[in-house]
Amino acid sequence: MAFTNTNRPTRRLPLDPSLIVVALLLAAVVAVGFALSDRFGTTRNFMNVLEQAAALGFASLGQALVVIVGGIDLSIGAVVTASTVFMAGVVDLHPALMIPMIFGTLLFGAAIGFLNGFAIIKTGVHPLIVTLGTASILNGTVLIYTLQPTGGVPFWFEEFAYGRLGVIPISGLVMLLCFAVVWFLLRYSKTGRAFYAVGGSPEAARLNGIQSNRIILMAYSAGGFFAALSGTYFVSRTGVGDPRIGDPMTLASITPVILGGLVLGGGKGNILGVLLGVFLISLISNLLNYMNVSTFIQWVIQGLIIIFAVSIYVQKCKKL
Amino acid sequence: MIRLDGITKVFPGVKSLENVNFEAKAGEIHAILGENGAGKSTLIKTIAGAYIPEEGTIHFAGQERKWATPKEAKDAGIQIIYQELMLFPELTAAENIFIGKMPRTRFGTIDYKTMYRRANETLDSLGHRLDPRAPVRDLSIADQQMVEIAKALIGETKLLVLDEPTAAISGREAELLFECVKLLRDQGVCIIYISHRLEEIFSIADRVTVLKDGQNVGTHDIHELDRDKLVAMMVGREVNNIFPPKKTPNADVAPVLTVRDLRAPPKVKDVSFDLYAGEILGLAGLVGAGRSEVAHAIFGSMPRTDGTVTLGGEAFNAPTPRDSIDRGLGFLTEDRKGEGLMILLDMAANVTAPVLSEFTTTTGLDRNYEVQAAEDEIKRFRIAVPGPKSGVYQLSGGNQQKILFGRWARACRRVLILDEPTRGIDVGAKVEIYEIIRKLADEGAGVLVISSELPEIVGLCTRVLVMREGSVTGEVVSTEISEETIMHYATAASADAAQGAAR
Repeated sequence: MAFTNTNRPTRRLPLDPSLIVVALLLAAVVAVGFALSDRFGTTRNFMNVLEQAAALGFASLGQALVVIVGGIDLSIGAVVTASTVFMAGVVDLHPALMIPMIFGTLLFGAAIGFLNGFAIIKTGVHPLIVTLGTASILNGTVLIYTLQPTGGVPFWFEEFAYGRLGVIPISGLVMLLCFAVVWFLLRYSKTGRAFYAVGGSPEAARLNGIQSNRIILMAYSAGGFFAALSGTYFVSRTGVGDPRIGDPMTLASITPVILGGLVLGGGKGNILGVLLGVFLISLISNLLNYMNVSTFIQWVIQGLIIIFAVSIYVQKCKKL
Repeated sequence: MIRLDGITKVFPGVKSLENVNFEAKAGEIHAILGENGAGKSTLIKTIAGAYIPEEGTIHFAGQERKWATPKEAKDAGIQIIYQELMLFPELTAAENIFIGKMPRTRFGTIDYKTMYRRANETLDSLGHRLDPRAPVRDLSIADQQMVEIAKALIGETKLLVLDEPTAAISGREAELLFECVKLLRDQGVCIIYISHRLEEIFSIADRVTVLKDGQNVGTHDIHELDRDKLVAMMVGREVNNIFPPKKTPNADVAPVLTVRDLRAPPKVKDVSFDLYAGEILGLAGLVGAGRSEVAHAIFGSMPRTDGTVTLGGEAFNAPTPRDSIDRGLGFLTEDRKGEGLMILLDMAANVTAPVLSEFTTTTGLDRNYEVQAAEDEIKRFRIAVPGPKSGVYQLSGGNQQKILFGRWARACRRVLILDEPTRGIDVGAKVEIYEIIRKLADEGAGVLVISSELPEIVGLCTRVLVMREGSVTGEVVSTEISEETIMHYATAASADAAQGAAR
């Protein structure tokens, strides 16, 4: 029970148990896919999935950063919507602004996230409520501006969503790159360590001289930034700003975060789990599409998988 | 009243109780002592029917009993009061006392009149006055404890188990509790009393049983024992001196920390003192006197409205925790799990948390260096942890505390403020912590020790400040340091203060 031998060799789990669970689920889906459909197990299809996963990937990455510092962002979907309308609207009027507007849109998202974080720190109101309020404000504003898909972007901009480097989709590549950079920063930077510290033990973090408020602002800004990147991807895909396109994204962004084993409440979890979660969700809907299963049944299946996966984590945690 | 014979309880891989014989009589206060992990809680839970032993028999009130559920034990008259009180804060005291068995009128509704009357009677029988109509959340911890005891007395209680009842109270409140427990004993209730504090065992217990590593080391009348014998039984070896030798610091040099007229409302009203390098200065006082708040106000984790502070000769008046750490002032907080440890991070990350910059190169965190630093602290303070990369949550309180000592001793070498450095730690680890504190002072740090355990203050410090209601009311030096003088300053001045307020 008590450790008495201080010279015991360092033991380390080879991998997070939650990573293993989601990886196994992923393998199971791929295996079922190979068995049930000829078209599923092709490079071409996997590359399509990678391309389509980007929107969810960006949104979930942003959500994950907020969740790690102990928060949650329910305005992700609204930021996605607002950034599509903002980008397509401005570029439609001034096509020359296309490239600056990519940065402008990302900055816009980050600014909304920053305001979320600022309001949470200043008021002490729960992030759930603050970000819900932000979502309502953004959605309302967008719908006052337009009820229909609107605006437009130069045709070449669809390269971001559909373009390929060899066989690899650019959007998927950008997503993988974002995950890699965030993974590295979380694991090997002072700021990354601070993210986990603030999420897991806010009071202890403060008393260890960590500037918690700065970390929280950074997390929400990143959440907004990646939501806007998701919006940018949608503009590239559809060519317009759509006042409803982000609606399902808020809840969708939370699913891979949970599947990836991040603890709601903060302080624990590996961002790679979230990436696997994104792949899992994308592959499942891809497979079910091939099998002509309706979207509504897909939702039911997704719900079952979440509950199943998380119940396994809970069992594991009890054993530890 | 209760007799356990040859009780053995095995958890997967661990024998928690091994062939334990134990007996407690009606009308006695029987203390159970032992270090963390010695098997105290397993023993209680076996008595309470929460665990079913693999071997052995339980005799209760003259009959052999086999509890299948805790409810059976409860119905037979065994009541347990756990360390964490289990009360409903929004309900009144009386409602809590009668929870689950409220008296009914003939219409089946709750008979509040009878309930409040009987609650009053029960509280009176404990010699304690409080309003049974008051919501529990408005009561002090001591009053809440009385409610818990009153709750246990509804119905026929033959055996009452108190698990560390004084963990959250001190001074006058604890005395009230002792009086009440003695009253119950004189009414013929068998009381099993569990505590870490040796002093109170001597003032309250009739007999003592010591557990060590799941075995009964011995049961003795309290008269047969003294402090040293008891400690030796608990630790399993002779501990000649719990406290390291005192050393008077060199007061000719300038103090490393000076505090003048510190105010941080509402808890800190007027605090001034000097702290010298190499000194172990005590800060004593009752719970709620504002001691921890002084520490927070100096460290910069709580705003202050007034006062001048110098650290190492330089003015230090608008601190943040970051500034304090950078200037070599560390603060080991009272609430180990909430404010000290980062329970989700590994041991190494816990050690380096306040000075992470030292471990950061242009390419990011130098994990190898960090692990190396943690290894050093493991060796230096003999921390029993599987390794730098293992978690900290499951470790014993003593080892968690040693990790925090590793953290702060490494980060801050000028001044260390230690708030309740041995709270909830067993005796063996306490001795080690005292040695560590001595060593840190010898290495040149000024150490301010805040503690509610007077023997600790008396045994460790060469100078003691006493606080009462936010102000320093006395300073006790060298040979004058005793529990009596400290208590005098911590409480006696209240008469003067009351007069002052009246004028």
